[in-house]
Amino acid sequence: MRNARVVMLAVAVTACAKGADTTGDSANGHPAAVQTVSGATIAAPRAGPAGEWSLPAGDYSNSRYSELDQITAANVKGLHAAWTFSTGVLRGHEGSPLVVGNTMYIVTPYPNVSYALDLATEGQPLKWKVRPENAQQAVGLACCDVVNRGASFDNGKIFYNLLDGHTVAIDAASGKLLWQTKMGDLSRGETMTMAPLAVKGKVIVGSSGGEMGVRGWVAAIDQATGKEVWRAYNVGPDADIKVGPRFKQFYKPADAGANAAQHSWPGDSWKQGGATVWGWISYDPVLNLVYHGTSNPGPWNGNQRPGDNQWSAAIIARDADTGEMVWAFQPTPHDIWDYDGVNENILVDLPMGGTTRKALVHFDRNGFAYTMDRATGEVLVAKPFVPMNWASEVSLKTGRPTMNPDKMPASGKKITFICPSLEGGKNQQPAAFSPATGLFYVPTNNLCMDFEAREVTYIAGTPYIGGNAPEVAGPGGYKGEFIAWDATTGRKMWGIKEPFPVWGGGLATKGDVVFYGTLDGWFKAANARTGEVLWKFKVGSGVVGNPISYLGPDGKQYIAIYAGIGGDMGLLIAGDVAANLPFDVRERGSTLPDLARWTSWGGMLFVFSLN
Amino acid sequence: MRVVLLTLMSGAALLGCTDSRAAEVARAPQQASVASAGDLAARFVSHPENIQPGMVKPYAGRVMVNPYEGNASAAATGAKLFVSYNCIDCHGADGSGAMGPSLADGRWHFGGTPGEVFESIYQGRPEGMPAWGSLIADDQVWMLVSYVRGLQANKNVTTENFAGKTVERTGH
Ligand code: HEC
Repeated sequence: MRNARVVMLAVAVTACAKGADTTGDSANGHPAAVQTVSGATIAAPRAGPAGEWSLPAGDYSNSRYSELDQITAANVKGLHAAWTFSTGVLRGHEGSPLVVGNTMYIVTPYPNVSYALDLATEGQPLKWKVRPENAQQAVGLACCDVVNRGASFDNGKIFYNLLDGHTVAIDAASGKLLWQTKMGDLSRGETMTMAPLAVKGKVIVGSSGGEMGVRGWVAAIDQATGKEVWRAYNVGPDADIKVGPRFKQFYKPADAGANAAQHSWPGDSWKQGGATVWGWISYDPVLNLVYHGTSNPGPWNGNQRPGDNQWSAAIIARDADTGEMVWAFQPTPHDIWDYDGVNENILVDLPMGGTTRKALVHFDRNGFAYTMDRATGEVLVAKPFVPMNWASEVSLKTGRPTMNPDKMPASGKKITFICPSLEGGKNQQPAAFSPATGLFYVPTNNLCMDFEAREVTYIAGTPYIGGNAPEVAGPGGYKGEFIAWDATTGRKMWGIKEPFPVWGGGLATKGDVVFYGTLDGWFKAANARTGEVLWKFKVGSGVVGNPISYLGPDGKQYIAIYAGIGGDMGLLIAGDVAANLPFDVRERGSTLPDLARWTSWGGMLFVFSLN
Repeated sequence: MRVVLLTLMSGAALLGCTDSRAAEVARAPQQASVASAGDLAARFVSHPENIQPGMVKPYAGRVMVNPYEGNASAAATGAKLFVSYNCIDCHGADGSGAMGPSLADGRWHFGGTPGEVFESIYQGRPEGMPAWGSLIADDQVWMLVSYVRGLQANKNVTTENFAGKTVERTGH
């Protein structure tokens, strides 16, 4: 008992030193409001009505901010479930629905069925349901569950990707399948899971399969015809990756020069170089640039590919009309930890050093949060947002991390306790930004790993990995935290510690309430200024999706979230939630040994409102 | 209708079924209207050897024998092939399950006899199990069969009990 008290005191001291840490259950005691950032704005706020959610992140800038403010920090405790909908699929429900006019659009995980729900009629009856053809082999080729991260609405059409590598367009009014274009090659292990972004008459899509030795690409499809307008690979010769006269790097890496994305790989290894585009796309209409990240290089074992391996694990800016690469930056050059660079790039204008910077904010898998100049790729701020030990800092002169030689995996060696783990300080779960507070709201993981790399042979259509990386909780013992972040200084402002990685995305609202869901099935509302948890509700399954807010036909503000555990964390490497399949009763990983106690597979939409 | 009946009949004949009732079945349709209930019962034939719900039974009547059955060094070679053919990254370390199902839980979707496991590897399976038959030699497939079937011990989790401090997993 005495010992326990000593430990508690020590914890309290650390918490005070950090300023404003709270816990997942801080129902008692009201933490103080943190300092906010005034004058920070979303680069391109949504053009349509505030009550709609027509793009994956609500707007081009990926802010996940809703202007609706009926639900406030003062009244959110009165939130209750208004209605629910079963998607009929029991796999990881990443992503979110869309709401346009009086209709909600839902895309399920594989088999990627889509539904249109009539919000104006009691009981939300279906307007239509679409079941596109979708090859069954895709199921076993998707590395990290058969997820789908959502759709885009534009010009009366719904666009989304099928796991088997097709993009489809559906007439939003009738449900008619307008076109279905083959974009990926399933036989090589290419699948598609990302949410397309509808931009200027085109849809921007990208590939998955970074664990299968594919060659990653991003492409634009004509919304009207379904024909490919441009396709840019991320590794290989300049012509393929669309590097031309407009390409300017803020930092010149050692491997700079013509065809650097080919020569920064040994031999032809770039052909299996990964660098897929399975994350989120953002768009700046003024610069006319689309921003995307790229995945880990293939294989994980870095001994098989000495060099910087451009442009894997990178952030890339491209011309929206032509796909030309305008700048590129590798948070993790020569990645050997599976630190994909695919996390969302949030476009905001930030007051910094007496001026307003056109910024891009990116919380990388590698554990650093980057505040960059989105026109040039210059790093303005780069600070750790989770506990880490693989690198100590990022040089603002070179843009490169200062690495810890003790934490570098190599063939035949076992390196222990590398932080963050391969799941990253953050993964697919997107952060949100509130112009009301100027802060970012970031779902994070706190996991570390042992890494054993081994030689691997490339066999088309099979995994190209060459490593094994069991995970444990990071320093402090908690495995996730939902944090508020000041991107102008690179400081954590508050944090809500969670027993499991926070694998669902964030939502910020004008009512100063932020929302997120947890793997153990809690959907929570917190005060955007203090980090105090104000309300929570136990939904039917663990949350790996992203909350949205919309205005119903009845004039009420609603909050919607998928419940449906899965994805990398819920299903796989670290997961412990077994499916009820009589022929697969596997003993799950040791990372989250208790998770199955709190949740089981599901596939439900939950919608909440006041009264 | 006639075609189906004839197929069943010839199948029965091939398997050596000489029961004369098979011929009667073929005549059944035109006689049905005048047959009494008692006659009808006599006319139905059961073919348990042909029709099974669910489980695929490849090569019924022919048993595939693993030439390496009980051969530990073949299983050890199979373990190496399991890594070098990248089975490991779909099925997990020690076949414990990852993107593909667990092969170490003693539970089988497509059957766990040597012949059935051979078929799974050789022909592939619909939800993304590659067909290796055209790529690797038959004897290597058999070594993989030896390894994979040897994984079954002690990973069959029937009960997970969460009441204590640690999760207890039990099976049989
Ligand atoms: C690309 C991923 C992938 C690779 C590589 C792969 N498998 Fe599979 N395997 C699967 C999937 C997915 C299934 C389940 C298929 C289904 O349910 O239709 C499966 C099923 C099986 C089954 C049947 C299991 C049962 O319950 O009946 C066996 C046996 C098997 N695999 C063995 C192997 C072996 C041996 C190798 C290497 C030579 C291998 N697999 C390589 C994905 C893979």
